[in-house]
Amino acid sequence: MGELEDRRTAVSEARFESLLDTAADGVIVIDETGRMLVFNKICEQLFGYTSQEAIGQNVSLIMPPEFSVSHDRFMNNYHRTGERRIIGIGREVSGMHRDGTVFPLELSVGEAKTAEGRQYIGVLRDLRSRRAVEQRVSQLQAQVVHMTRLSAMDEMGAAMAHELNQPLTALLLYLQAVARQVRACHADAKPPSDKMLDVLDKAVLEAERASHIVQRMRQMVEKRDPERATVDLREVVNEALDLSEFVAQGATVTIRRVFGMTPIQVDADATQIQQIILNLLRNALEVAKESEERWVKVSIGSDDRSAFVSVTDSGPGFSEDVGKSLFRTFSTTKKSGMGLGLAISRAIAQNHGGDLMADPGGNGQGATFTLMLPMHHSDEAEEDTWG
Amino acid sequence: MYIIVEDDPSVADALESLLSGAGLPVRVFASAEEFIHSASPAPDDTMIVDLGLPGMSGGELVRHLEKAGATPKVIAISGKSSRTIARETEGLADVKILRKPPAADWLEAITA
Ligand SMILES: Nc1ncnc2c1ncn2[C@@H]1O[C@H](COP(=O)(O)OP(=O)(O)OP(=O)(O)O)[C@@H](O)[C@H]1O
Ligand SMILES: [Mg+2]
Repeated sequence: MGELEDRRTAVSEARFESLLDTAADGVIVIDETGRMLVFNKICEQLFGYTSQEAIGQNVSLIMPPEFSVSHDRFMNNYHRTGERRIIGIGREVSGMHRDGTVFPLELSVGEAKTAEGRQYIGVLRDLRSRRAVEQRVSQLQAQVVHMTRLSAMDEMGAAMAHELNQPLTALLLYLQAVARQVRACHADAKPPSDKMLDVLDKAVLEAERASHIVQRMRQMVEKRDPERATVDLREVVNEALDLSEFVAQGATVTIRRVFGMTPIQVDADATQIQQIILNLLRNALEVAKESEERWVKVSIGSDDRSAFVSVTDSGPGFSEDVGKSLFRTFSTTKKSGMGLGLAISRAIAQNHGGDLMADPGGNGQGATFTLMLPMHHSDEAEEDTWG
Repeated sequence: MYIIVEDDPSVADALESLLSGAGLPVRVFASAEEFIHSASPAPDDTMIVDLGLPGMSGGELVRHLEKAGATPKVIAISGKSSRTIARETEGLADVKILRKPPAADWLEAITA
């Protein structure tokens, strides 16, 4: 705090004021009793009071009533015990405009010991616009996630029709067989045989196989809010790989899974994580298909902070040029690609507090995409350490 | 003899149930290769071949039989789009096509 003090005394009063007025953030200085000594231009805009009106008044003027009470208590408590709740930390608080509008602020507080006693310097940033942007982004993201799911479904549509065809064909043929035999028995006035029951049982199994396929597909398309839960990353990835193998049936690319034996717990929305894996896998399969060795390797690992899923393929990797715009939306080198896969995947990863990284490979090496997610930590480790 | 070449075990089994339930003699093969290695069709046989076999496709199998001079009756079954089916059966003499899933009684269609 010595530095602040130095500045406070070195800079002349007038210069200090004009400096404050060019600041991009609101700046308020209060004394030990909570009286405002400085109230800069940005504060005038934020709160609707001129500095003449504000200076000399208690800082509770610009707080919602429920806060102003506890603010006095906090200050008294700090003076008595020296226990810090906010100084040097910064946090999100609520401010109140002259017209009564309450809005979110980021507040950082510094302390200066002056000849006239302790003073506190608060730097305030209006969080409303950022909040609105964040909200918009997460709305958009939810929409786009839904869209990519749908366009992946489009592609899956043909595969799915094919997949449903098999059990439906078997089902109908079993039923045709039974119907014929029942009719024949009827004509001969004989009771139906046990064999017919066997065939009926098989028919039921095929109907179940078909409905299972529909159920799994439905899970992928249904739009819903993100649902975080503590999950084993290995299971989540496994399921995505199963699904994709099922869609790519008969394809000639081998998918290798390199998983450890111990569960890897992360807090995540399983469907969104699967969305990432499916996007990475789709990209990898597309290039692996054209390569000589035709494999994709999916490995999972972790250290004590983070979990990793890496997808490597036997393709040619990507150039520096492609690498520059890899994660940008609508950047694609494919005729039918939308260039959304990686952009969305990274957005989801970051929304989970993780990230998506790319290694370009090259010189006979395929690209590697690595999803990083924070490991789940049980609660005991992190008690609130504010103040 | 009715010869089924189909890789999906359920479809093969259901087809077999339908044919043998009607008292017809049936043999089932899971791939074109398996069939070629263990049997050769007689002219009065009926072959029911899935076009989408893994490995040697159904279309290739039929072409292979034509080249070898074998002329059984051939019925192709497929779940693909009509365009794909047309491409896969291009140049084949006369193949009856049954599409999955069945829209009518397949026993009648096969024995007709
Ligand atoms: N495994 C990979 N190997 C080489 N290049 C890759 C690989 N994965 C992605 N790329 C490159 O990154 C680009 C962007 O990928 P992204 O998944 O974002 O979009 P896309 O696959 O082109 O289209 P979409 O996923 O929306 O259908 C691709 O067009 C491709 O050039
Ligand atoms: Mg992609």
